[in-house]
Amino acid sequence: AMLSTHMFGENGKMKEYHYTGPVEHKFSPYAFNGGTVLAVAGEDFAIVASDTRLSEGYSIHSRDSPKCYKLTDTTVIGCSGFHGDCLTLTKIIDARLKMYKHSNNKTMTSGAIAAMLSTILYSRRFFPYYVYNIIGGLDEEGRGAVYSFDPVGSYQRDTYKAGGSASAMLQPLLDNQIGFKNMENVEHLPLSLEKAVQLVKDVFISAAERDVYTGDALKLCIVTKDGIKEETVPLRKD
Amino acid sequence: MEYLIGIQGPDYVLVAADTVAASSIIQMKHDYDKMFKLSEKILLLCVGEAGDTVQFAEYIQKNVQLYKMRNGYELSPAAAANFTRKNLADYLRSRTPYHVNLLLAGYEEADGPSLYYMDYLAALAKAPFAAHGYGAFLTLSILDRYYRPDLSRDEAMDLLKKCLEELNKRFILNLPSFNVRLIDKDGIHDLERVPLGQKAA
Amino acid sequence: MALASVLQGEYADFNSHSGRPFSFASESDGLSFSVKASLHGEDAEGPERKIEFLHGTTTLAFKFQHGVIVAVDSRATAGSYIASQTVKKVIEINPYLLGTMAGGAADCSFWERLLARQCRIYELRNKERISVAAASKLLANMVYQYKGMGLSMGTMICGWDKRGPGLYYVDSEGNRICGDQFAVGSGSMYAYGVLDSGLRPDLTVEEACDLGRRAIYQATYRDAYSGGTVNLYHVHSQGWERVSQDDVLQLHQQFQSKQA
Repeated sequence: AMLSTHMFGENGKMKEYHYTGPVEHKFSPYAFNGGTVLAVAGEDFAIVASDTRLSEGYSIHSRDSPKCYKLTDTTVIGCSGFHGDCLTLTKIIDARLKMYKHSNNKTMTSGAIAAMLSTILYSRRFFPYYVYNIIGGLDEEGRGAVYSFDPVGSYQRDTYKAGGSASAMLQPLLDNQIGFKNMENVEHLPLSLEKAVQLVKDVFISAAERDVYTGDALKLCIVTKDGIKEETVPLRKD
Repeated sequence: MEYLIGIQGPDYVLVAADTVAASSIIQMKHDYDKMFKLSEKILLLCVGEAGDTVQFAEYIQKNVQLYKMRNGYELSPAAAANFTRKNLADYLRSRTPYHVNLLLAGYEEADGPSLYYMDYLAALAKAPFAAHGYGAFLTLSILDRYYRPDLSRDEAMDLLKKCLEELNKRFILNLPSFNVRLIDKDGIHDLERVPLGQKAA
Repeated sequence: MALASVLQGEYADFNSHSGRPFSFASESDGLSFSVKASLHGEDAEGPERKIEFLHGTTTLAFKFQHGVIVAVDSRATAGSYIASQTVKKVIEINPYLLGTMAGGAADCSFWERLLARQCRIYELRNKERISVAAASKLLANMVYQYKGMGLSMGTMICGWDKRGPGLYYVDSEGNRICGDQFAVGSGSMYAYGVLDSGLRPDLTVEEACDLGRRAIYQATYRDAYSGGTVNLYHVHSQGWERVSQDDVLQLHQQFQSKQA
């Protein structure tokens, strides 16, 4: 609910009945629309994936609202959190990318986009964009790159990162399957594209089983030097 | 918890300040100087909100020094105290008030020694002795009881030590040491840092 | 932490609790017991709880005869969720200045990036390197302008200049303190314990590195909000040098086997 009055006062008394002091009307310009995003970097590819559910509280607003946004031929961003801010933010990024291209006659690299996004986010430090961003793409050497952000612009490069409502479910799985965390005597094999895609599908199917805000469908954006390939996989719709 | 004290005698002012810089419950520094030299014969002692203390004291310090450069003579302690008070009062009614408690001690040929007490609400009072901080509750009565206007320097030093020893005895938070300075007709003199703990009965 | 409280609970409310109680007249001196980034306020289990801010952390730096040792952990937490185990909490401002990160990750990296720019401009204008004292004061003055608005950072500016090794603690409260040793963050008490008991004036570089590493390790062992890896830097007359990066798990095994 965007505009809401408290039914109960601080001491648990019902407002209509007892006098509970001045009535406060609080307006919040924020909402949490759920959704999960994930990015994985490989030797020569990157995958950005998200579910397509848009919800608020107990209701599902849309079953076809992917959270991956193509930025350039080699960069995709995944945004989850407050959908309104996601849209505003991606449109600002798109505009800035166009401005950069017109003034420099080249497209921004994934690293440059990440640095720019950091300053865009921090510019709203005292009234933040409520968005968890993860950028996936190729770096200048053609290697896969993932950059993860907090809502006010702190960022770092990762090899894999989950964000949004089911991030706490996906991340440990990835730590085990890609990061081989806390394991002894295992071969640290480089991640193949096929294995990565299968892994992404599996973790999202798992998340859809246990997270109410994740489901309906999974959209994958696979970034390679040949361009961005999209793929959609159905998920639970309940 | 921070503590400032000043005692004025016939031809000098004796001041002391604790030396602790704390951040929440951690003592970050044990030899922190809370006194700012405004001119050859004026000291400003400053405690209060973190950040505000240094920002405000340095602002006053730089302006007093600027006054000397522009006019070729220094502000008297009384003038410096009133200048400081006016600034504090103006900032108090602004959106960015400074939360600082001050003592200003100085010496001037014409008026002799003087000590001014100032709090963060910009109240200014000339006093023969003054103290700031929780320690003031414990030590003002001692000063009331034993202070005389004709106190010699050694007697003033003994009185100061009496105050610091009382702090050490009754105050739950121990302040390990104090910077002590004396201002007279010859300027500011650094006295021995008084470490506490060994002599306190 | 301000950010967390901005977006905490059912609705955001950026008018009332901006994190820090507007301390005025309530406390007569600088000692407040709200440990930086507070021990309260993580109770709201709403979906909006997971705003990342690096408040659980341990960072330390100390001067010794051969320069400054800087050691930090690498964990980032959002409430009880470990958001990252690979955060770089030492910010390389330039080849002879380091800054550490505690408090809001974005606040630290943004303002220290701006500091790096200011330092470079100083160099170009004055044809000499900026002193650690001046650099730390630039930062302190920048964040002081935002005091009370909810910035959260506790940083140590470490470097080497004409005066030798330099070490300053600067935070968003407005503190700027020169010192010989500091620890910042939720694990700082544990780090201080090991640091203070092991510090000697005649430490060799290797011994000093071991001490810094050990202090952070012990802090990660006791403080749930610290962990990951220990990053270690040594600042000397030629600038800073990255000494080591050790997984706490490996250090644990190493120290355990040595003890046995």
